[in-house]
Amino acid sequence: MVYSSRLIEHFRNPRNAGMMRNPDATGEGEYDKCGDLARFYLRVRDGRVVDVRFQTYGCGPTIAVASAGSELATGRPLDDLLRLDRDEVEQAVDGLPEERKHAADVVADAIRAAARDYVRRRV
Amino acid sequence: MTRRVYLDHNASTPVHPEVIEAMLPYFGERFGNPSSIHGFGREAREGLETARERIANFLGVAKDEIVFTSGGTESDNLGVRGVAIEHHAVLRTCETLGGQGFAVTYVPVDEYGTVDPDDVRRAIRPDTILITIMHANSEVGTIEPVEEIGRVAREHGVPFHVDAVQTFGKIPIDVNASGINLLSFSSHKIYGPKGVAGLYIRKGTRMAAIQHGGEHERRRRAGTENVAGIAGFGKAVEIRERDMAAEAIRVTALRDRLSEGIGARVPDVRVNGHPTRRLPGTASLCFRHVESESIVLGLDLKGIGVSAGSACTSGNVEPSYVLVAMGVPLDWAMGAVRCSLGRGTLAEDIDYVIDSVEPLVRKLRAVSPVGTA
Repeated sequence: MVYSSRLIEHFRNPRNAGMMRNPDATGEGEYDKCGDLARFYLRVRDGRVVDVRFQTYGCGPTIAVASAGSELATGRPLDDLLRLDRDEVEQAVDGLPEERKHAADVVADAIRAAARDYVRRRV
Repeated sequence: MTRRVYLDHNASTPVHPEVIEAMLPYFGERFGNPSSIHGFGREAREGLETARERIANFLGVAKDEIVFTSGGTESDNLGVRGVAIEHHAVLRTCETLGGQGFAVTYVPVDEYGTVDPDDVRRAIRPDTILITIMHANSEVGTIEPVEEIGRVAREHGVPFHVDAVQTFGKIPIDVNASGINLLSFSSHKIYGPKGVAGLYIRKGTRMAAIQHGGEHERRRRAGTENVAGIAGFGKAVEIRERDMAAEAIRVTALRDRLSEGIGARVPDVRVNGHPTRRLPGTASLCFRHVESESIVLGLDLKGIGVSAGSACTSGNVEPSYVLVAMGVPLDWAMGAVRCSLGRGTLAEDIDYVIDSVEPLVRKLRAVSPVGTA
């Protein structure tokens, strides 16, 4: 399996990994065929995501994509994340091999779920 | 440069320099077809027969009971299908049994992956035509009681096939004491070249060829023999005969150093397989709440080659069926990693692996939501 150097770099040094105390929103993405799981925590100020943390269980690419996804989400307007496209997440690690495409789906699902959770909590 | 440590000897082994040396003439001046009757052919034939004799002596069997094939998979196919087809033809049961015409009974294993010979006895039916088993499981390394199972097979007059691909040249095999009719064994697991293997067929075992063409291998396997590969295989066996016993002791000590070292420094680790009846170099470890492939990737980045116990194919992760059959819980089985040591493995390599595993697993667990509140 050939991975991009960007993916490997994120796997080696995951950014924003860990839990968040009293987050404004949380969301999970899961790929039940392989049990991969990503959980995202968001801190939101004035409609913008100011801090992101994640936890992931899965193969190396899922961990790397979650790290890249956390960077992608930081500083973005919450509305953006409601519509976050999985391709944008995949591009954040310069692409994934065919057998590991699900890593971007799991992470994009988790981030979108967290954004929806924020909206739900505000209502 | 990053240190490189290869701990995947159950997958394949590097060809021994003496083996390469033994193969070279058969790519050059002794290139002939061993079926040709002229001098060029006779030279090639000599290389083929010398290897056959060496392997037969190693197993304590007759030369003409050894058939060369292209790999362990082909040996298994020839052994199992060859017997099945022969019986099929003789009994003419194809129409009555329908479809493929065969019923297969799978015998369970215990928590160590060991088959109980009494379960084999109970599974035998009046129409059983073959009993087949792996001598040792390639993933967890548990060695099966083939002598006892062979006794059961003999009592019932059922041919007995053993896949010894992981054990041949690593631990002693006594085909006579174990009543083995068919034994598959391979070259590239014992520092020989890939693409060469053998099947021992006990004299009198009724079986059909599954590959048709020429009259090679006494009509049991058509196709020109891979003479250079077979010459190398013969050399590899000669070296195993010399080194096997001492190496088994050395590699077992390193294997235990590895699993004990990791167990002492990493919490929630279990060693799979039988505590004592296990292949010398095989350590199958489960890291709870960590996914196999993330460990394999993390170690790969440190120059270490191990293999994942659970495989993710096209996005589907299946826990190892071997571990599932042994009753290993899913949250452990998903984190299975196999380390298989060999003749080139050093104590420093093991210590480097232990030093690499500990921070990696700690890091992977730190990012994991599984197993935390």
